[in-house]
Amino acid sequence: MTRFRTMLRDALHRSPRFEAVVLLLPAGVWLAIFFAIPLGIVATYAFRPRHILGGVYPGWTTVHVVRLVEPLYLVVLQRSVLLSLVATLLALIVSYPIALVIVRATRWRALLLFLVVLPFWTSFLVRTYATIFLIRDTGLINHLLQAVGVIRQPLRMLYTPGAVLFGLVTGFVPFMVLPIYASLEKLDPALLEAAEALGAPEWRRFVRVTWPLTLPGVVAGSMLVFVPALGSFLTSDLLGGAKVELIGNLVQNQFTSARNWPFGSALSLLLLVVVMIGMLARLRLDRTRTRPRRGT
Amino acid sequence: MREGCRALGSRREFLRACLQGGLSLGTASALWSCVTRREPPPVDERPRSAAGPLEHDLRIFNWSDYIAADTISRFEREFGVRVTYDTYESNEEMVAKLVAGGDGYDIVAPTGYLVPVLVEGGLLQPLDHAVLTNWANLVPLFVDDEADRGGRYAMPYQWGTTGLAYRRDLVAASPRGWAVFADPSLRGAVTMLDDGREVLGAMLKWRGHSVNAVDPRQLERAKEDALLVKPNLRAYLSATVKGQLISGDVAVAQLWSGDTRQAQLEEERIEYTVPAEGSVLFTDYLAVPRSAPNRRAAHAFLNYVLRPAVAAEIAEQTGYGPANGAAIALMPHPVEPPDEELLRRVEFQRDLGPATDLWDRLWTEVKAG
Amino acid sequence: MTRRIVAVLAILGYVSLHLPLLLLMLGSVNVSRSGARWDGFTLEWYRRLLHRHDLLVALRTSLIVGVVATIVATGLGTLAALALGRNRWRITRAVEALLLVPIVTPEVIAGISLLILFSAVGMHLGLLTVIIAHATFCLPFTILVVMARLRGMDRSLEDAALALGADEFTTFRRVTVPLLMPGIIAAALLAFTLSFDDFIITFFTAGPGTSTLPLVIYGMVRRTVEPTVNALSALLVIGTTVLLLVAQHWMTPERVGTNA
Repeated sequence: MTRFRTMLRDALHRSPRFEAVVLLLPAGVWLAIFFAIPLGIVATYAFRPRHILGGVYPGWTTVHVVRLVEPLYLVVLQRSVLLSLVATLLALIVSYPIALVIVRATRWRALLLFLVVLPFWTSFLVRTYATIFLIRDTGLINHLLQAVGVIRQPLRMLYTPGAVLFGLVTGFVPFMVLPIYASLEKLDPALLEAAEALGAPEWRRFVRVTWPLTLPGVVAGSMLVFVPALGSFLTSDLLGGAKVELIGNLVQNQFTSARNWPFGSALSLLLLVVVMIGMLARLRLDRTRTRPRRGT
Repeated sequence: MREGCRALGSRREFLRACLQGGLSLGTASALWSCVTRREPPPVDERPRSAAGPLEHDLRIFNWSDYIAADTISRFEREFGVRVTYDTYESNEEMVAKLVAGGDGYDIVAPTGYLVPVLVEGGLLQPLDHAVLTNWANLVPLFVDDEADRGGRYAMPYQWGTTGLAYRRDLVAASPRGWAVFADPSLRGAVTMLDDGREVLGAMLKWRGHSVNAVDPRQLERAKEDALLVKPNLRAYLSATVKGQLISGDVAVAQLWSGDTRQAQLEEERIEYTVPAEGSVLFTDYLAVPRSAPNRRAAHAFLNYVLRPAVAAEIAEQTGYGPANGAAIALMPHPVEPPDEELLRRVEFQRDLGPATDLWDRLWTEVKAG
Repeated sequence: MTRRIVAVLAILGYVSLHLPLLLLMLGSVNVSRSGARWDGFTLEWYRRLLHRHDLLVALRTSLIVGVVATIVATGLGTLAALALGRNRWRITRAVEALLLVPIVTPEVIAGISLLILFSAVGMHLGLLTVIIAHATFCLPFTILVVMARLRGMDRSLEDAALALGADEFTTFRRVTVPLLMPGIIAAALLAFTLSFDDFIITFFTAGPGTSTLPLVIYGMVRRTVEPTVNALSALLVIGTTVLLLVAQHWMTPERVGTNA
């Protein structure tokens, strides 16, 4: 026994690999039992006959998976991917300036950062709900526009695809700002000074120095926006008035109203596959980036 | 399902096996069978007696906002039972828990169409009518309904209809039927419920069919009608629409009678009508799951709700009609049981069986369209 | 010129982030029930909250679940991060990628699958199952956050300690852990927030009497017409603000940014 203990200590000392395995074990076992195994069971549900009450019968079938390729569901998937991409792009357009302003600020930096972090910690449900007060017919925007006299009839904003987009963008902007801010902060000012000394105008310094060097933050932030946007269902329910069906709603409905667990499982497998493709693309990007590149 | 799990030996052992990372093929396949096998017990069985001293706890799982403010606390004081009260937003959420064996609830509140399905699935236990001494207060119409003829497994709780809630100051003429949703002058000012059964059901009624239709041609037509009115709709909103009716953002909404009454308390210009072509009548029941740990306390609670005064207060505060006939006279704003004229127009929702998939597909087509 | 455009865009961003929350707070002290116009100041909606006993019970449940799940997730997460953050082998990259799978899995699937697991092994739904579920979905996040801190850390201090003759354990305790602390605190805060906010997974894994605050709020947002839900939401936002300000005693604001 003592010998075993000594051996263990030695092994931990000598082999960082062994040490890593020991440290990883608790979290690994936890995730295996409470995430991987249950997910595996649900994945097999996609191939089970449907039980009328929800749940499944024993036996195997491919009807649910075959149903996935029907144009109806592919259209919804396509729309969801498109909407999430646009939301990610808009979030980037909003977030990059915010991150730039924070980095450049001196006196107000802590406050500006705090103002981005605050919504990040605030309940998504509460924030989505709050958006209704801004954009409904009798909301602030319409009140202001009518008071100024720009419009007579209220603008229809709530329950439109635009409202869903707005909800997604404002909902996930903090996820985008923080990684970009982090990579901007790490940026070596000497590089920009050198570029300036060499006579590069501001936009050129941005395009040639700042942007490429903060790309990792942009990619990380984009994933953090794209992925939850793709799985979201609350935003299109509350702000889209359930008129804009997204893949997240489709999954949700199979479990909560259609009582079709196998098809719901099949749909979420599809969703997972799409997300994995995005993830692999990101890993690719990471790999090419870590290689030394000419010109940077 | 539970029986099947015994094959595993003790569950603790199973968990330990998992924790040790020794999930053998045998355990895995046993787990499989637990997850998939269900053999419902025979449906026709006699109730076990619910007489005797009450347990100290009672766990109720009910729709949110579907009880009076002090029903629970008064029951606790009178019977010396501690009540745990949780709520849900849709029938299916509750069913998911019952199906997966999410045990521990003594009372659930399924809607009528679900009762026979739950009974067939072996998820409910028969009621012991010997202790339900106030049963006679119920309106016979709801007790004799085919959902659970004679109330063997479930006690009628409240009823309501689906209809049109509208602001009389915002419409040129009072809406009479489902055609109001196709009226171009109301474009953007009308909403329908975010519920496939209700939307397609309304479209079916519009064309004179049953809300429980399974004929693919009728359903296809209903889908086309739903797509036809969709551009007119502001949104698909369920209970949320109350706020929009009050603020005047929405002029006409497909809504349930009780929720409409709640909105009427805030804004008296809201009116309610059941469309001429017909609509849905639904009864919500209280039932005792098979796995209920406190069945005697559960029965005591059912009998308590059967008291006219208690039922009257619940109905008054929720806005729905009491299934309890004796309660009506005690309500400040009574909701009379459906009369002959209304009954001719309305239909109970039934479980759609195998047609559920087709309905779901058509509803998805409407929403994706 | 460029700077001006950047400033304008940033201001727009800040406004769209905060205006809804400000309106929510205004609505919570507005006499008007529909909130369509300003009818005067009132604390009536807050007073009504006091009568909602269920909210207090739910708040207590949320706090218990949040704290325990945070401790579990942060503990396990820190250990795993120590393994992953120090090494850059191909296998750790693969593990990192795998960690994203739980993060991107739709919540309803995670909820249903845990419900099935718990029922298959005969665990009664209750506080324990909710805590397990929360710790599970928080764990990948805590690993990633602590790992990020570890990678951004100045390793030369550890080397210095070792060179000065401290043994490995002392170095870990006196140098690594203090340096890692902001990351651990950020991870714990994140885990607590995720747990405190979760609705769907909680719904499927909660049992009798373990409804958390979001379950109750969700019902209120969907059904009620009066602004008590605004009052409750406003209180949550204020509570978050206070919590964050307190947290800043431990962390400089820059660190919150780089680690969260």
